[in-house]
Amino acid sequence: MSEPPPERAVETALSEALQRLPERRAPARLVRGVEDVLATAPARRSRWRRVLVPALAAAAVVLVATPVVVSQRNAVSRAATATMVSEAIGDHLRIVQAQRPLEIESGDGHRVRPWFEGRLEFSPVVPFGGDAEVPLRGGALAWFLDRKAAVFVYGLRLHTVTLFVFRPEGLPWPGGHDVHRSSARGFTVVMWRAHGLGYALVSDADPGEVQALAARFGGA
Amino acid sequence: MHEELAREALGHVDALYRLARYLTRADADAEDLVQETYARAVAGASGYMPGTNLKAWLFRILRNTFISTYRRRRASPEVSGLEVADAPATEEWLRDDLELDRLRKIVAEEIEAALMSLSEDARTVVLLDLEDLSEVEMAAVLECPVGTVKSRLARARAALRRRLRDYAR
Repeated sequence: MSEPPPERAVETALSEALQRLPERRAPARLVRGVEDVLATAPARRSRWRRVLVPALAAAAVVLVATPVVVSQRNAVSRAATATMVSEAIGDHLRIVQAQRPLEIESGDGHRVRPWFEGRLEFSPVVPFGGDAEVPLRGGALAWFLDRKAAVFVYGLRLHTVTLFVFRPEGLPWPGGHDVHRSSARGFTVVMWRAHGLGYALVSDADPGEVQALAARFGGA
Repeated sequence: MHEELAREALGHVDALYRLARYLTRADADAEDLVQETYARAVAGASGYMPGTNLKAWLFRILRNTFISTYRRRRASPEVSGLEVADAPATEEWLRDDLELDRLRKIVAEEIEAALMSLSEDARTVVLLDLEDLSEVEMAAVLECPVGTVKSRLARARAALRRRLRDYAR
């Protein structure tokens, strides 16, 4: 009959067994997404930015309206649209990264929407108030370029989906398209105009899911 | 977040994904959890104390995110605790040379299955130990006293050994 092995031998054998766990590395798309998150510093919106960005956007509109050369005009239009997309992503990240992003926390759209009354010079029309799959978390006020916006924050599994609603006048909307979809830095942005308002939906969830969700908001 | 700190943080993405994968049990959820962890880390970067273990700080954010976001949504709550109910018979098995030899031959899939059969708390403490965190750092991640970490780890490893007994036979 053999001697019982010491406790330490068993513990060592267990530790060695644990070292044999399958090696799981983060998928490349996750690494890219994390790189995007890390590359985006939580910058506060400065007064300069409030003044300069709308001025640049307005300048872009003027440039687009000037009949110079078609290719130049298209390039400026793309740049102006890119400014809006970048603004939407930046605003979305400020919501995601904020310690307390919501000024009203509720899953009930009939409570969130009235909260904006008296806080905005328009009434945000939001056709989709959330459901079990995409629950409404709440709302907040924000700035979209040079204007106030209503922000509705939803969840999509562990993703955050942010809907910005704002006045659409004077912004460099992509010409000839009612709905503009684009992707940048791992985020999908869908922008559209309806009910006399402008909308921007932003999330890092699957692009197909974001587009399908935009359709539920009326951006289709 | 400072560029150098961001670079170091990115270097821990595999470790975070491993823990997230064992906590959520699903690739897509693990990816979401890690992404959310980094977003929260960037937002709360001022809360990181330079010179301390960045990986441990990220693990704490991940665990808290998991608890606050993912675990709350689960339909059927997982049994918490460290599964100490079936403690007997272990000693007898462990004192057998032949069984020890089998333990040494256990393959990756078996140890993974045994680990996944443990409770969340037990899995977490075993995995944190594997990441070479000190007991003090593990205590910071789990937000409990060091003594609790020691006892949790000992009970988790004992529970794991009981699970592995089934595979060794």
